Amino acid sequence: MAAVTLHGIGKRYRLDDQRHRSSLAEQLQKRLARLAGRPAPPPEVAADSEFWALRGVDLEVREGEVLGILGRNGSGKSTLLKILARITPPTEGTAVLRGRVAALLEVGTGFHPDLTGRENVYLNGAILGLSRREIAGRMEEIADFAEIGRFLDMPVKHYSSGMFLRLAFVVLAHMDAEILLIDEITAVGDKGFERKSLAKLREMVGSGRTVLYISHDMHAVRSLCDRCVVLDGGRLRDQGDVDRCIRVYEMLCARGPLAPDRRAAG
Amino acid sequence: MAALMDRTATVIGGPPPGLRHDMAELWRHRGLFAMLVWRILAVRYKQTLIGSAWAVLQPFILMLVFTVFFGWLVRIPSDGMPYPLFFFTGLWMWTFVSQAFLAGAGAVVANGHIVSKVYFPRALLPAATVAASVVDFLVGLPALVALMAWYGVVPGWGLAAFPLALAVAGIMGLGLALWFSALWVFYRDTAYLLPFLAQLWMFASPVIYPASLVEPEWRAVFALNPMVGIIDATRWAFAGGPAPDPGLLAISAVAALLVLVTGYVFFRRREPLFTDHA
Repeated sequence: MAAVTLHGIGKRYRLDDQRHRSSLAEQLQKRLARLAGRPAPPPEVAADSEFWALRGVDLEVREGEVLGILGRNGSGKSTLLKILARITPPTEGTAVLRGRVAALLEVGTGFHPDLTGRENVYLNGAILGLSRREIAGRMEEIADFAEIGRFLDMPVKHYSSGMFLRLAFVVLAHMDAEILLIDEITAVGDKGFERKSLAKLREMVGSGRTVLYISHDMHAVRSLCDRCVVLDGGRLRDQGDVDRCIRVYEMLCARGPLAPDRRAAG
Repeated sequence: MAALMDRTATVIGGPPPGLRHDMAELWRHRGLFAMLVWRILAVRYKQTLIGSAWAVLQPFILMLVFTVFFGWLVRIPSDGMPYPLFFFTGLWMWTFVSQAFLAGAGAVVANGHIVSKVYFPRALLPAATVAASVVDFLVGLPALVALMAWYGVVPGWGLAAFPLALAVAGIMGLGLALWFSALWVFYRDTAYLLPFLAQLWMFASPVIYPASLVEPEWRAVFALNPMVGIIDATRWAFAGGPAPDPGLLAISAVAALLVLVTGYVFFRRREPLFTDHA
């Protein structure tokens, strides 16, 4: 049985978004017009005012599989992970994830500059779904790996950006879940730490977890992934062999960035 | 394979889950809830010199001003309660509810950067601010006890009503926080509307006047404002005020519950759209 199953997943965004973005005044005017019996203005969903960030995505990821998700900027990669992470709902389609899910979409989510490194690790860990006890058990390892030393009990506003990123990354690297959704979190710190973090990532990814991994770093994709998919204009362009998908992706990149109006292809 | 079957599956894109699922989900996130409350208090203590003491100082100083102007000069009736106790109990409760809902209303927008990156039941955000307000509120208790000792007021049976009044106040604050935090995501006008609403609401509540000032035939309508029951019960408990009519207390409690239930339903219906608009 697949650990992750996607069925016709689609996500539509409205570019003008009258319904929710308008000011209170406009809303009231509309409501009053309706009360007065005047015809409501036609629904303003003109074809060019909406676009599908994702459309018709069917996908199965087996348990323990590491799936690379490739695509140019605006191809729908991040939207896909955000849907699976339950941050935004799909407009259509369904998805089922079997197992505990950890979404690692950003380093340092919820970090507060006035709190110390240690306090932020607790906070960030809790936001990502770790219990207090789980974090306490890992604190020493986290501090060691991040090479933070005595700064652990200082407010993070006094950290260098490298220290901040290292500490934030390490919390992610200690997430314990059966399914990991990872969006480009390796490129932090200097070369030395980058190597170390990639090794850590490989250790996480290699331990039987199911991973969906977004990266523009083809070296990392080659070394981590079992299989890839290529997204383009919100649709699945190709899937399967890692090297073939990388070639398809590079070919797409050679054509240059997606034209803004072509993103809505769907 | 079997292991996979055993695990709870997350279904995305299905019909909205029911209340029982919601409650289980909230309970599962209780650790995060505690951390969110702790963060609010910890950050405040690091950024300010006296932290929660502000929550006492504010009503205390207002109490002094009100005692001089509305008490000694205007001679507002206080149902026989000493002015400082009369005003402090009203202001203490009012500060709690208004702070809970004003801070709670901004909770989702203020945490937009977290909301857009991690899933958790968003209702935890306004709920955490309300819980932090309870801590602030309790800091005021010693000041109240000191005032009672000064005026020789001995707490009576009303004291038993106090936990109930606090619960109704918390329910009211949370209900409003849910309503307005969801509205705020979609209508930035809320930021300008709220302080004004709070001001109007204070005058509609028996903070600087006793509830008995309202004509008896209008009291049931007056009690629809939950602040009426809340403040009356608090004055009964701590200021030597008269025992309030239980019927009016019930009206206030039901009104507060109604605000919470409708607030939660509204919040849940809007919640999926937060990230696309925050």
